[in-house]
Amino acid sequence: MYILEAHPTDVWQTESNIKEKIVFASPKDYQEREFVAGSCVRKLGIKFPAVLDGFDNSVEKAYTGWPDRIYLIDKQGRIAYKSKPGPFGFKPEELKAALEHVAK
Amino acid sequence: MEAAELVATVLTVMWLLTLAIAMVYRCPSGILRRKTMAISSIVRKVLFRALVGLVMVYLLFAGFILWAMHQPPETFGRVMSRMPDAAYLILPFETMWTHARAGQLQNGDPAPDFSLLKLDKSDKVQLSALSSRQPVVLVFGSYT
Repeated sequence: MYILEAHPTDVWQTESNIKEKIVFASPKDYQEREFVAGSCVRKLGIKFPAVLDGFDNSVEKAYTGWPDRIYLIDKQGRIAYKSKPGPFGFKPEELKAALEHVAK
Repeated sequence: MEAAELVATVLTVMWLLTLAIAMVYRCPSGILRRKTMAISSIVRKVLFRALVGLVMVYLLFAGFILWAMHQPPETFGRVMSRMPDAAYLILPFETMWTHARAGQLQNGDPAPDFSLLKLDKSDKVQLSALSSRQPVVLVFGSYT
């Protein structure tokens, strides 16, 4: 779920952005976000499907997903796991445990 | 991590208080005692007021950061871009962030449905249609 940028140059660029050459301004429209998302998926080699949040950020608002967060939705359409807010709370190992629980 | 953070903040405040109390109640010895009694009384008052001022500034600063954490990401980002790194050390930052960004959704709640276009534009993804077939992982994030 590709959402609004965490550290765009015009808002809150950090030193690691410059060091890792991930330097982008806030996308002005959906097409610009699409471009940055495309770079992200290609450069990081992301294999799972990426969807773009609408430019109104409605899904990010509903899930408080910014800057990064993990959710697991079960087969009844209910939230089985909601991580603490990132970056501190972004823990794939917790997702792994939740997936094992849901698989039972 | 959160517990360690709270302990560090409490220890900082306790250290400041201990320092202030030690300075206020330190008695000069010898023949200068009477002459310095009047001065030490003034110094005590000044130090006490400075300490109260320091605590108030700290609480106001913490309140301001907490307010910023509840604002939309762009507002929060602009506030944080002007913060010194020390802000992360003197405040229980992670605890504050976890509470500010808790959101409405709880485990067991129905996941808000959405229908969004895939990045490669091959298809639209409807969450409810997907999750009825298999569990779905949502990873929110961005490149920067």
